[in-house]
Amino acid sequence: MEKKTILELKNVRKVFGQIVALDSVSFALKRGEIHGLLGGNGAGKTTLMNILYGLYRKDEGEILLRDQAVSIQGPRDAINQGIGMVHQHFLQISNFTVLENIILGTDVKNKYTMKMDQEAEKVKELCQRFGLNVNLNDMISTLTVGARQKVEILKALYRGVDILILDEPTTNLTPQEVDALFVSLRVMVNDGLSIVFITHKLREVLSVCDRITVLREGKNITTLDRKDASEEVFVRAMVGEKMDIENSIYFATEVRQTFDRTSVEAPKLKLENVNLISQDGIPRLKDVNLEVFGGEIVGIAGVAGNGQRELAEVVTGVVPVSNGKKIYLGDDVTSKTNEDLLSSGFSYIPEDRLSDGFLPKATVAQNLILGQHRIKPYSDGRFINWKTVYAETTKNIKEYNIKTNGPGDIGGNLSGGNIQRVLIARAFSMDSQVMVAHNPTRGLDIPSMDFVYQKMLARREAQLATLLISEDLDELMRISDRIAVIFRGQILGVLARDEFDKYAIGRLMSGITSENQPTEEKNLP
Amino acid sequence: MTIAKKILPYLLAVVASFVAAGIFISLMGFDVFKAYQTILFTSFRTPNGFIQTLLKFIPLTLLALAFTIPLNAGKFNIGGEGQMMAGGIGAAAMGIMFADLPAIILLPLVILGGVVAGALWGLVPAWLLYKFNINEILTTVLFNFIALFLIDYVCTGPWRDPAAGHPTTVLIGRGGWLPMLVNNPPLHSGIILAVLVAIGVYIYTSRTTGGFELIATGANPRAAGVFGINTRRMFVLSLILGGAVAGLAGAFEVAGNQHRLIEGMQSNFLQLGMIIGLISRGNNGAVPFVAFMIAVLEVGASAMQRTMMIPVEMVFIVEALILLFVLLSDVVRRK
Repeated sequence: MEKKTILELKNVRKVFGQIVALDSVSFALKRGEIHGLLGGNGAGKTTLMNILYGLYRKDEGEILLRDQAVSIQGPRDAINQGIGMVHQHFLQISNFTVLENIILGTDVKNKYTMKMDQEAEKVKELCQRFGLNVNLNDMISTLTVGARQKVEILKALYRGVDILILDEPTTNLTPQEVDALFVSLRVMVNDGLSIVFITHKLREVLSVCDRITVLREGKNITTLDRKDASEEVFVRAMVGEKMDIENSIYFATEVRQTFDRTSVEAPKLKLENVNLISQDGIPRLKDVNLEVFGGEIVGIAGVAGNGQRELAEVVTGVVPVSNGKKIYLGDDVTSKTNEDLLSSGFSYIPEDRLSDGFLPKATVAQNLILGQHRIKPYSDGRFINWKTVYAETTKNIKEYNIKTNGPGDIGGNLSGGNIQRVLIARAFSMDSQVMVAHNPTRGLDIPSMDFVYQKMLARREAQLATLLISEDLDELMRISDRIAVIFRGQILGVLARDEFDKYAIGRLMSGITSENQPTEEKNLP
Repeated sequence: MTIAKKILPYLLAVVASFVAAGIFISLMGFDVFKAYQTILFTSFRTPNGFIQTLLKFIPLTLLALAFTIPLNAGKFNIGGEGQMMAGGIGAAAMGIMFADLPAIILLPLVILGGVVAGALWGLVPAWLLYKFNINEILTTVLFNFIALFLIDYVCTGPWRDPAAGHPTTVLIGRGGWLPMLVNNPPLHSGIILAVLVAIGVYIYTSRTTGGFELIATGANPRAAGVFGINTRRMFVLSLILGGAVAGLAGAFEVAGNQHRLIEGMQSNFLQLGMIIGLISRGNNGAVPFVAFMIAVLEVGASAMQRTMMIPVEMVFIVEALILLFVLLSDVVRRK
């Protein structure tokens, strides 16, 4: 049976300043399908859907909903027309219950008593129908990310939408939660809903979507049925002609050699029973023991907010250790400040690039030497050698593909991805003994991500130590030699490369330590 | 971007503000061209006019730097006035207490007294900021009032000059007077020191490692802290440096111009200094040039009032308009 097109976007164009975010993009959604919107960062996926949801105005083009031209002025408008969107960052009130969050902003039958039995009934029915199991009386703050996402989907369903847009829904979900989500999505489309699934993860669209549209640099590349196309076609469509896929790490398939630690005597960095108690007395890190050897990439997996940031800041000396020991090249550096550590061989790519890593009012050159401004060749300790700095910066701009007017350009003029490249160039431009990289590829397109991976492997070759903290489990499994899983500030387990199993890691990520045997990959419906 | 392109918005802002103020002047019934001629050329027509301009230039540059140095670190020093007065008191105290010492000792002592007193006036708000996180805008402003009453006390207290009609102290020792570069009209050698200080501040903030840390702190204190810069130390340092520079201006007023401490020496240098600092956008290299321009306007303004009876406030309006238009050009460029 040929499915009917329910929604169509035609020749949509959107320009931000001088950047063309969308260039005549068309997109058609059929009733009862899961339509993947695939592309790297900056491809324009989210922009396109934000236009549909009424968050942005389009400059040109039209939107046809059930064969009628519509103009969507805002999210309320979109919801009234039957379009719901689940964003990457949930908009929820954490000290309200699940039910309260779902019905917030809608009319309640018993306005004066606020008895919500009827509404609860309706939500419960939705939960059952779509296999979205959440307890309606739980407080949002007690829920996992996966459960909070279910709440967000229920919010849209409760409002009676029949088109659901999911923006990178699998970020921060454990593999088990991802599987459950996919099952629910399938139930929804069988029930007549249509779903747009925005992602940059190829494997996910291949496993769950019926049709796939690929965007690249704001342009339509192709739309294909899942069953008509092979993985290679999509890979090529995503990255373009220029990238060398054969030698890429992003798409690598062959098994890499496990790191052989017997050849190295001592770790470059060692944490011994490190504890961190925050200012308000809450323990953030509990008895963390971790070794990073030279020539090794150690990955830290975990759902965001389980102590990753604290771990990065403790290692780099941004915050002092409350308890325990830090050993660097055999010396106790527990009480050293970040000033000392940065000048003695540490480099750091912080997670929150805008707040923790970048000087928007300073020049690109000034940004590139931040943290290394006291050491050679940039400085003799008193004066900064701007000639060398500018020469290095010019070199780095080229090597790291930073789009800017030059070393003297003001940092605030750069786009997010380019700011990330500045941070990466800063950290990689010196051969630091220990690098702490926290979500280093966030906001980068695939060729740039691949470049970062190449750089990390080069560090591995050069016998340097790298601690990679990432929320992207695929990334960690692609490149790490060992993966340590962090849960509520504790390292629950460390797996070597030959033991990598995403379900085992997923269980640890949700705090389950017993029966840690690798399981067989579940078949998806 | 070329220099010409960078300067263009400023030139436009200056022209626009002159045009706007010209409308007011003509509405008030004065001859606009003659007024502007007076404003712009008084400084260059006579030696006296030029030296008057230079004498204004000294405190304006220093007070502007007292504002921009903390601004570079992201802190607002609104206490330049108080720091300048404290510097004047410090200088006068040295000059009066050790009046009999020879110049070779007394002069450095007087200058140093001013610098140290100014730095102290910056240190207290800085310490309150460091220790208790008290907003420096509030404390530096409040310290202006303390200095105001302190100067009142000093000028009417034991060091009072009973012969003078206005609250002043007695003269400081002869050895504490700054040597004159030109005797008639008088120009003291403080200008050399002021220019050296301006160059020094420029080199410090643009070339040294410490200056880089100052700028980085101002650009994003959180990121600077993450990358090993002790930002709270930079806050304190910047406020002390600012205070010291303002204190130097106070010492020059005492040792160079009046040779005594006079109530009201602070004039409106604080406000003008802030305007200069803001027009320069915190760029220490631009400060002396902008300060010179404002000094020309100031001297021209009093001449205009004397010869044409146009109120001197007209020039304040021009200065304020320049600032407004410069800030506006920022917004326009971003669009």
